[in-house]
Amino acid sequence: MRTNFLHVLSFLTLPILLPVGASAATLTVGLASEPTSTDPHYHSFTPNNGLARSLYGALVTTDANQKTVPDLATAWSVEGDNVWTFNLRKGVKFSNGVPFTAKDVIFTFCRVRNNPQAISDYFGNPVTNFVKVETPDDHTVRITTKVPEPLLPERMAEMAILSAGIVKHGEIAFDLANGCGVTGEWPTLARFNSGEDAIGTGPFKLTKYTKGAGVELARNENYWGEKPAWEKVTLLPIPNAGPRLAGLLAGNYDLVENPAARDVKQLEGDPRFGVTIRPSNRVIFLQMDVSKDQSPSVVTQNGTNPFKDERVRRAISMAIDRDTIVKRIMDGAAAPASQFVPETMFGAQPNPEPLIYDPEGAKKLLAEAGYPNGFKVTFAATNDRYINDSQVAQAIAQYLSRVGIQADVDAMTASIFFTRRSKSEFVLSMGGWGSTTGGASSFLQQFVATLDKDRGVGRSNYGGWSDPAFDAVILKAIATVDETKRAELLREAGKLALQKLPDIPIHFESTIWAFRKGIQFEGRMDQYTLPALAKAVK
Amino acid sequence: MTKPRPIDPTLVPPLVETPQRRFNLRRIKRRPNMKTALIALVVILAAGLLLPFAAPQNPYDLSTFSVMDNRLPPGERSLDGLTVWLGTDSQGRDMVSAILYGMRVSLLVGLAATSLALSIGVTVGLLAAMFGGRIDALLMRLVDFILGFPSILVALVLLAVIGRGVDKVIIAIVVVQWATYARIMRAAAMVERRKEYVEAAENLGYPSWRIMFRHLLPNSIGSVLVVATIYVAHAITLEATLSFLGVGVPVTQPSLGLLVASGFEFLMSGEYWISLFPGLALLVLIFSLNLVGDRLREALDSRRS
Repeated sequence: MRTNFLHVLSFLTLPILLPVGASAATLTVGLASEPTSTDPHYHSFTPNNGLARSLYGALVTTDANQKTVPDLATAWSVEGDNVWTFNLRKGVKFSNGVPFTAKDVIFTFCRVRNNPQAISDYFGNPVTNFVKVETPDDHTVRITTKVPEPLLPERMAEMAILSAGIVKHGEIAFDLANGCGVTGEWPTLARFNSGEDAIGTGPFKLTKYTKGAGVELARNENYWGEKPAWEKVTLLPIPNAGPRLAGLLAGNYDLVENPAARDVKQLEGDPRFGVTIRPSNRVIFLQMDVSKDQSPSVVTQNGTNPFKDERVRRAISMAIDRDTIVKRIMDGAAAPASQFVPETMFGAQPNPEPLIYDPEGAKKLLAEAGYPNGFKVTFAATNDRYINDSQVAQAIAQYLSRVGIQADVDAMTASIFFTRRSKSEFVLSMGGWGSTTGGASSFLQQFVATLDKDRGVGRSNYGGWSDPAFDAVILKAIATVDETKRAELLREAGKLALQKLPDIPIHFESTIWAFRKGIQFEGRMDQYTLPALAKAVK
Repeated sequence: MTKPRPIDPTLVPPLVETPQRRFNLRRIKRRPNMKTALIALVVILAAGLLLPFAAPQNPYDLSTFSVMDNRLPPGERSLDGLTVWLGTDSQGRDMVSAILYGMRVSLLVGLAATSLALSIGVTVGLLAAMFGGRIDALLMRLVDFILGFPSILVALVLLAVIGRGVDKVIIAIVVVQWATYARIMRAAAMVERRKEYVEAAENLGYPSWRIMFRHLLPNSIGSVLVVATIYVAHAITLEATLSFLGVGVPVTQPSLGLLVASGFEFLMSGEYWISLFPGLALLVLIFSLNLVGDRLREALDSRRS
């Protein structure tokens, strides 16, 4: 333990040290959670997606408020409900100097369908809806879909465009059955992480990626847009909020993600630093296994799975005091959630019925459901992914214990958590989801809809929830092009989900960024920490 | 080291011919820092045993405290009217209770892991010394293998596989510690193995187990026991480190190491008590154990009597 005491000592003296400030053209960022790969199609995970925005371009991108804006496509249009045309930007070059053409777009569509290492089918899925993709010329892409996909531009914003030059190929054409003309080996995770295949059109290029030790970027001098102020960027994973902030105060980092909310006041009064706080679209929620009859993770008197009972799920929601969690654990930098997306998002409930705190009512419901003495359950959570995740999980366990449910918190590192969750190993877990695409439909179609790989819905429905009435509404909603009608259908679907509570919303995170003097950083709703957005100011 | 004291010639025996293996309690008592260490240890042990009565709250029962009381500074009053002399942690646990319970975990882990590792190590060492040859080579290569890796690394990997919990931590510590005992036991027993009385016993046709446990063991255990006293402290440190790194005990049942870890992120906000007090408790515990172990070694050391 001696080293730990030294840590603590050095730590206490840090605030009195003056910030030394890194040299002008380099930016060092302290990340709360590290990217797990530089392959942009590996895992739809906020740190990965954020890194992908630095390295790669996409046809379309989203701004800080999640509006779709042009990127590699300058304009797009839809004819009828099914034919989309994207006009590509001219004169764009990849970071290795190779010009960007429509072939690269086709290659990317093929690659996401030939990506066996991916954590889920998230990136590959939109392409399953493509009947044909034509390229009338080098700078036009025309996509014909099987069923109407109103969110196609938004889905394209998530699909980083790779260079066809990273594989051996003949004539590239959208022909999935024959490998699209690719003759060599498809790109692998290892080749991305070594930097060999991490070639994009983003503002930065990859210099070095070392798992656990950070990512080094260099300015992409071939970037078509306004070049960032930083020649070199280092992204360092510092999972603990205290040391992250200490590093900023000591001048080791220029910009840090999510310092503890309780420390913000201290920073705001200090002329050497700046702070940005933005509400995010990320909901923290509980997911329960509602399909298994039994599980070793839950022990009840009659040996059944209590979460199959709607009353138990309702009781759990009633047992949790969201306001206190927001106030005492999140220090106010969050908002209690009564639905899965913030009210301001497309298709959200305008006035959701609040999920109230009523421990007595919860006890009654549990007794009614046949669990007057509660039960014992292992409660899985992350300890390095969401803001204060392990603290929030413990507070929830505390509230559950008050109504008789003994929840043993098993807090683990994110990579283990996500792998185990994807195998449906958890009967009760706490996750988070940032709805970056399609407003309310994002959460509902991923987590609540019955799994249907062809339609690309229910891929994160690890608890096995299945409600035909809900499915009918959500499937209709995501195929409706008319926005007013779609919003209405989404509100209906959201209401159905909240009635049965297969997932229980807890709160919406707010994201905080702190930075040294000399930097201006505009935050984003999707929580991405994009170094290109850090402006150098006097 | 120790200052030579004036020697009263009447107390000195004319010639010491046989090694004294007498436990010299008086010498321990005569050192003041020793006294403090002993008192601290006795108090900690007593607190650990009398725990349910000594602690104002059961910090492992989530329903006895409230998140409404979290991060109260020392001396404040909680909603239940309890004065929290050392403050509360991020979940609203009274730190006094959390430290007492955490100490019990530390002691339990230290003592259980050491005695288990000791039994395994001693047996293996005796087997190696008794039979020599291939068995010796095989067992000692296994020992080399374990000792070849840093103990913290082995324990980390092991816990990543078998999961967390007090029992799992004990297993992990036993796995990394038994090899040391085996190595020392073997060396000591090898010396005895070549002596005439062992040879005589063998010629009398005594079974191997009898020679091992009746002859070799009592005559070579001394040095292993000395190491064991120091290794109790080592086991406690290892548990604290593993919990600090987040692979030890569950978060809802914090040990001292985990308390230090969970308070770490609040240091920046000036909420020092969550890390500081469990850290001090750990310091006192390890320090007194080491001090007592050290003097115990001197007391047991025949060459210095």
